Amino acid sequence: MTVATAVAPTPPSPPPPADPATAPRTLPRPRAGGVAAVLVMTALAGFACWAFADLRINAATLVDSASNAVDFTRRMVPLDFPPVAEVLRLCGQTMAVVVCATLLSVLLSVPVAVLAAGNTTPHPSARFAARAVIVLARAVPDVVLAIVFFRVFGLGALTGVLAMGLHSVGMVGKMYADAIEQIDEGPRTAVRATGAGRLQQLVSGVLPQVLPSLVANALHRLDINLRISVLLGFVGVNGLGYEIAGALNALNYRRGMALALIVLLLCVLVELLSGTIRRALLRNAAAGGRARGVRGGGARTAGGRTGLVRTVPAPIAAAPAAAARAAATRVSPPWNARRVRRTAYAAMTLLALAASVWGAGLAPGQFFGALGNIGRTLGLFWPPKTGGILPDLLSDLFDTVEIAFAATLIGLVLALPVGALAARNVAPSPATAAVFRVVVVLVRGIPELVLAIVFVVITGLGPVAGALALGIGAVGLLGKLVADSLEEVDPGVEAALRATGAGRWQVFCSATLPQAAPALVGHVLYQLDVNIRSATLLGIVGAGGIGFDLLNASRVLDFGVVTTVLVLVFATVLAVELLAVWLRRVVR
Amino acid sequence: MATEHPPDTVVRFDGVSKQFDSEVLALDDVSLSVRAGEMVVLLGLSGSGKSTLLRHVDGLQRATSGTVTVLGTDVGRARGAGLRRLRHRIGFVFQQFHLVGSLTVLENVCTGALGRLRGPRLGLLSYPRTVRHEALRHLDRVGLLSQAFQRADTLSGGQQQRVAVARALMQRPQILLADEPVASLDPESSAQIMRLIKEIGEEEGLTVLCSLHQVDLALSWGHRIIGLRAGRVLMDSPVSALTRDDVMSVYARLGVATPAVLTAKAG
Repeated sequence: MTVATAVAPTPPSPPPPADPATAPRTLPRPRAGGVAAVLVMTALAGFACWAFADLRINAATLVDSASNAVDFTRRMVPLDFPPVAEVLRLCGQTMAVVVCATLLSVLLSVPVAVLAAGNTTPHPSARFAARAVIVLARAVPDVVLAIVFFRVFGLGALTGVLAMGLHSVGMVGKMYADAIEQIDEGPRTAVRATGAGRLQQLVSGVLPQVLPSLVANALHRLDINLRISVLLGFVGVNGLGYEIAGALNALNYRRGMALALIVLLLCVLVELLSGTIRRALLRNAAAGGRARGVRGGGARTAGGRTGLVRTVPAPIAAAPAAAARAAATRVSPPWNARRVRRTAYAAMTLLALAASVWGAGLAPGQFFGALGNIGRTLGLFWPPKTGGILPDLLSDLFDTVEIAFAATLIGLVLALPVGALAARNVAPSPATAAVFRVVVVLVRGIPELVLAIVFVVITGLGPVAGALALGIGAVGLLGKLVADSLEEVDPGVEAALRATGAGRWQVFCSATLPQAAPALVGHVLYQLDVNIRSATLLGIVGAGGIGFDLLNASRVLDFGVVTTVLVLVFATVLAVELLAVWLRRVVR
Repeated sequence: MATEHPPDTVVRFDGVSKQFDSEVLALDDVSLSVRAGEMVVLLGLSGSGKSTLLRHVDGLQRATSGTVTVLGTDVGRARGAGLRRLRHRIGFVFQQFHLVGSLTVLENVCTGALGRLRGPRLGLLSYPRTVRHEALRHLDRVGLLSQAFQRADTLSGGQQQRVAVARALMQRPQILLADEPVASLDPESSAQIMRLIKEIGEEEGLTVLCSLHQVDLALSWGHRIIGLRAGRVLMDSPVSALTRDDVMSVYARLGVATPAVLTAKAG
């Protein structure tokens, strides 16, 4: 990625002339930070290109694999679907685990976010600790958590719920903290000025403002967890993924691919549903903001009609007549269509949550019983052991990093044009933008697992499958992020350049791209971060890299090695994370 | 309304109306003509159609009916390269400056030359050296040479607006449009910007159309004042024929009797 702002190399500079007006420099002096950022980004891009070449991802490889693909297709058809009742049971089981995990992550994330947000934290040290929890939760891959919890709690929903629930705090907690930091402080100050306590301030001044983003992020995480849950089936989280793992291990591709197709449909369905809800929420939030003044005024004149106000103190100068009128007026909102609708939605949500908790069959007894031997179990994981295969582990880790880089490169090359065409302000026509938005959603709907299995079968076990699966999968996330950040630029600047007579491409390069560049760099690094974790995960299904060692070690109960792998992956992810934080700060 | 146009007319509106998707009529049968070298001030309440009128001059918006002719080109029919060529001859200064904050001041000025350069440009190096020199000259002219390599978002509002003026100059325009160029600035910066636009306009022989809110500024600055209300031209008169009260009546509430002077014709 070229960043226009960063630097330009020094021109073969003559000594600066005495009068800057006669022969002025036409290029800025390079800044140390800018030069470093360009060097680092060039190095990253270079490594990605090298990884791409080193993995032999090219047309020849793909052509060679064509016969595999034919062979695979022959072994795959006809698809062997389980009976409908069985399918529904598996979908229900998977959804129950995913909903419970997301619920757990929300319940944990809210307090963590309150502590982590600069404006609500009680103390800087609490803020630091909460931020550390968030980073830790994000850096430990969910599959590692799943392996640990599988050992503690055995096969069942609990393992998946805890693994995904804890790992999700890394993302959900961060999003929530960011949302809290972005609120308008006015309402909270006003609530504080009435003498409200800290918790009251949070509930009345902060919560109403962040609620839409709270729900939207939870739904987003639900989508992600659904895809992950399928992968976790390979390490013993029951549901659709577990059945797929079983079928594939038995080389029963007809059953395996049929289930994968069901997963795909389920993912697209959930994605569409949650997307609709999120859009409705955000639209409501925006409309509510506009209408708030009017509604507030109405509530005041009606004498405390809002349901939030539990006790209505008598106005200081209230005439007896006014008091009587106020007493006669209802103090809860009327049951209009809006309220009925909202109550119905709330009830449905609660029902779905309750059904999920019940359906997941989370046994508290199992949880607390296992908690007793958690010390002993965790003892198995300590100290870290290399099992004499440290060189192999390191080389596999390098493979994983290589896969992640190559996948990010593939993703970037595909996502930039797709994302640009999906952005309304860049696409040649609104229809084009709409079509490419749909493409992005569809790609997002395909779980990486399904892609990985397909590519493993086509290109054989190994890193090429992983890189291709992740690269194509990246179009879903990165394409959306690219489109969003292009759409978020100040349209005035684009209009200003159009007004100078600049053409479409010129406006894109001189106004849209420079404004979006910092966000784009951030998104690409985020995708790299995601890809390193996902590359680890995909190793489990045979897509190369260190994930395979992880699975093997946990199968042969060599938990010291699991810990070593964990530490290695953790260190890598953390290094990328730190690099990203630094780059984002420099490239602003 | 004027139906004959002097030969040196550069901007001409003939019965122009603009309707947005709702029932709002932003321009209502506007006819006017502006001669080369004139400095015209547009006055009116917010929403009276000033911005819409300016945006019709360089085709950022198109008329629902009527024709807009600028520098001999029918703006409503201009498309693609033709429209871009026309726009390149028209500088536009916006209320909100519209600079790319993360780019250097110099690169922002250079973007004014995009209309005569081929292909997209990314980074200062992609602009020819001569363009960069020309941009520096314009920056010098607006008094910001020493800030050339700062990021645009490190400048004050008044400075950013001067950069925007330099960007417009980079187009070597024949017409300069300014849409409330000082509405976001303090009085001192406002006076500076208006002085700058006037000086440059006179030196370069530019035709300037500028919308303003400040009546006093309008009276001291322009040659001619056009008052708009609800998309209609309410007043069109040389400044010399107007008193402050005449001009204030543009802002008067609807229903107030219209002074006779408002019907005076320009030129």
